[in-house]
Amino acid sequence: MRELHGIIFSYEKRNELYELAEKRTAASLPFGGRYRCVDFVLSNLVNAGVQDVGVVLHGRYQSLLDHLGSGKSWDLSRKRGGLKILPPFAYQRAWGEVAFRGKMEALAGVRSYLQEIRQDYVVLTEGDLVANLPLQEILEEHIRSGADITAVCADDASPVENGAYFELEEDGRVRQVLVQPHQPRGKRSLETYLLSRDLLLKLVDDCASRDLTSFRRDVLQARREEMDIRGWVFRGFAAQMRSVRDYYERSMQLLSRDVRRDLFCPERPIRAKSADKSSAYLSPEAVCRNSLIADGCKIEGTVEDSILFPGVTVESGATVKGCILFKETIVRRDASLRCVIADKRVQVQPGRHLAGHETYPLVIAKGRVV
Amino acid sequence: MKKECVAMLLAGGQGSRLRVLTEEMAKPAVPFGGKYRIIDFPLSNCANSGIDTVGVLTQYRPLELNSYIGSGQAWDLDFSDGGVHILPPYQSAAGASWFKGTADAIYQNMGFLDLYDPDYVLILSGDHVYKMNYAKMLDFHKSRGAECTISVMEVPWEEASRFGIMNVDGADRITEFQEKPREPRSNLASMGIYVFSWQALRAYLCADEADPNSDNDFGKNIIPAMLAAGERMYAYRFSGYWKDVGTLESLWDANMDMLSPASGLDLLDESWPIYANTRSSPAAYLGPKAEVRHSAFNRGSEIEGTVENSVLSQGVVVEEGASVSYSVLLPGVRVERGAQVRYAILGENCRVGAEARVGAAPEDCDPADWGLAVLAPECGVAPGRKVKAGIMLNKRGEERAK
Repeated sequence: MRELHGIIFSYEKRNELYELAEKRTAASLPFGGRYRCVDFVLSNLVNAGVQDVGVVLHGRYQSLLDHLGSGKSWDLSRKRGGLKILPPFAYQRAWGEVAFRGKMEALAGVRSYLQEIRQDYVVLTEGDLVANLPLQEILEEHIRSGADITAVCADDASPVENGAYFELEEDGRVRQVLVQPHQPRGKRSLETYLLSRDLLLKLVDDCASRDLTSFRRDVLQARREEMDIRGWVFRGFAAQMRSVRDYYERSMQLLSRDVRRDLFCPERPIRAKSADKSSAYLSPEAVCRNSLIADGCKIEGTVEDSILFPGVTVESGATVKGCILFKETIVRRDASLRCVIADKRVQVQPGRHLAGHETYPLVIAKGRVV
Repeated sequence: MKKECVAMLLAGGQGSRLRVLTEEMAKPAVPFGGKYRIIDFPLSNCANSGIDTVGVLTQYRPLELNSYIGSGQAWDLDFSDGGVHILPPYQSAAGASWFKGTADAIYQNMGFLDLYDPDYVLILSGDHVYKMNYAKMLDFHKSRGAECTISVMEVPWEEASRFGIMNVDGADRITEFQEKPREPRSNLASMGIYVFSWQALRAYLCADEADPNSDNDFGKNIIPAMLAAGERMYAYRFSGYWKDVGTLESLWDANMDMLSPASGLDLLDESWPIYANTRSSPAAYLGPKAEVRHSAFNRGSEIEGTVENSVLSQGVVVEEGASVSYSVLLPGVRVERGAQVRYAILGENCRVGAEARVGAAPEDCDPADWGLAVLAPECGVAPGRKVKAGIMLNKRGEERAK
């Protein structure tokens, strides 16, 4: 299987991740106790036999670059092909200073890379999509159906920031493309599109010559009638991380076994960089229920309905409920946290009480001491 | 390319005292501490000590070990010059043979050492759990102008007769070596870690090989021969956690030590990380009814039952109503509903059926009959079956004499 090439977009979307995206894009946002969002997309690609992957960067990319490294963790550090970082905005003075205008503009900026793609098909996808997609199966269906573009969508119209929605015909053809509608309806776009390399190149050139920048507006909407665009409906867990609330709700859904079975199905494992931590440890007094606990955590207090990333410490007498604590957070003695998202290496001093609400979790930025 | 120091890790031992756990894998490949395998300790110590060339001598059941070590990347030991090399016994023009003893294993791989032309050779074994900076030991060796330095630690006098004991003078120069002496004159026990000046060792290996009556063993032949010849040999004192995990009991003990930092085995300390080659899986999930106390657990696990004073490796499942205490569960073990596991070591991918009983607490049975219950990897215990304390089952679930 060497037919599919992956291109992942990682860019800022005027979104509502606030402090969580202060120093990173959603692609390198920690998720699920030990992953970064981009691990899912990368694993989806690798699990479908994809050997060449390009990552299009825009702003705030340091964190993502650190995480990706050479691509070793996903077996994408190769002599030929493998992981390539694509900086289409390098000609601008400072990356990310100019807002991301669209995928077609970004792709035009890496035209020479696209020219060199060895595979017949390309999948365009995004770094903030958390799902376990059977891309192999989707590619087979794309080829079988003869569609020009196959758009992967979720079986719901739940609202997401900067979202797109498709209304589908019985046979799967896209009838209507709605971009950022006020009232979402139809199927939610997972911003994952399969098309042939030749068609992609043609579209990129066409758009570039007419100063068109957006894939959704200038390709999907503008050419819906002249092209065969089909939806492929994915029925599993599919989250797009675009607001603190989405992030919190979607994270908490992982406490359900069915969601975990679906997202971490053994046939298509999700690979992540190893944190090199020791085992997690619960002391004789510790209480820990309905929670995901990563390696290297040390818990002496009480943890319920929470997600703890590697190396989190919860000292004795401390209570953590409904929280998401990123790597190496320390909750000191007798502190109490409720509905808090603590970024990496946050320290909560003894006896402090912090509380957000399920609908409005409190976010503590990276490295802060409370 | 010349290297100052090359490490040779003796990993060929069968580890027969680990019984059913090592029926199908070499001792250094046995999982330890929930996350590691025994060989992670010497390999990580090498990486942390700046020793970038390591020969791993394999022999018994090498497959598991070979695939585990891979390119050495997990320990940051994948270098274009140096790195980890697996050294199996090989066929020479004169024929093929197994390594006769530890010294013979090094002798047969003299070609590998000569390739790097090291000044010093560090000899390690794959059955100890400890954190040690070999660079300091090497500095000591050089500062004494020694031909051989043996790492030692003080052991309680009453246990000294179980070890190889070094008698030393006031400057820690070794005067005598006694293998398991009945009446020890010192309590400095050899830890099985040696630094040799390579050219000196090379000469002794060649001489030893020429002696048909020799066992070709470091402890029995090489060290005594060097002592007899008056070579400069020093004892390097180590204080800190060190344990030979060569028996089922000591393997269980060392796992329990991991739960108590007071034992000196602190694996959470990040200044000297122990690396492992692990598979990716999601964070561990503890269910709404989980009761987990004084225990370690790892990614990929799902715990719905009760776990006390135990070490759980990756991908372990403890179903609701099941309880596990004072036990070591190796990767992929499944304990089904209502089952009880007490004072046991369960090999990889064991399955304990619903309502089964494995092992018992010492207070619940006749002291004469008590012992750890041990299940071989892949062993299945049928629902409701009772496996008494001290019983060992092979992978087909049949009892094996201990």
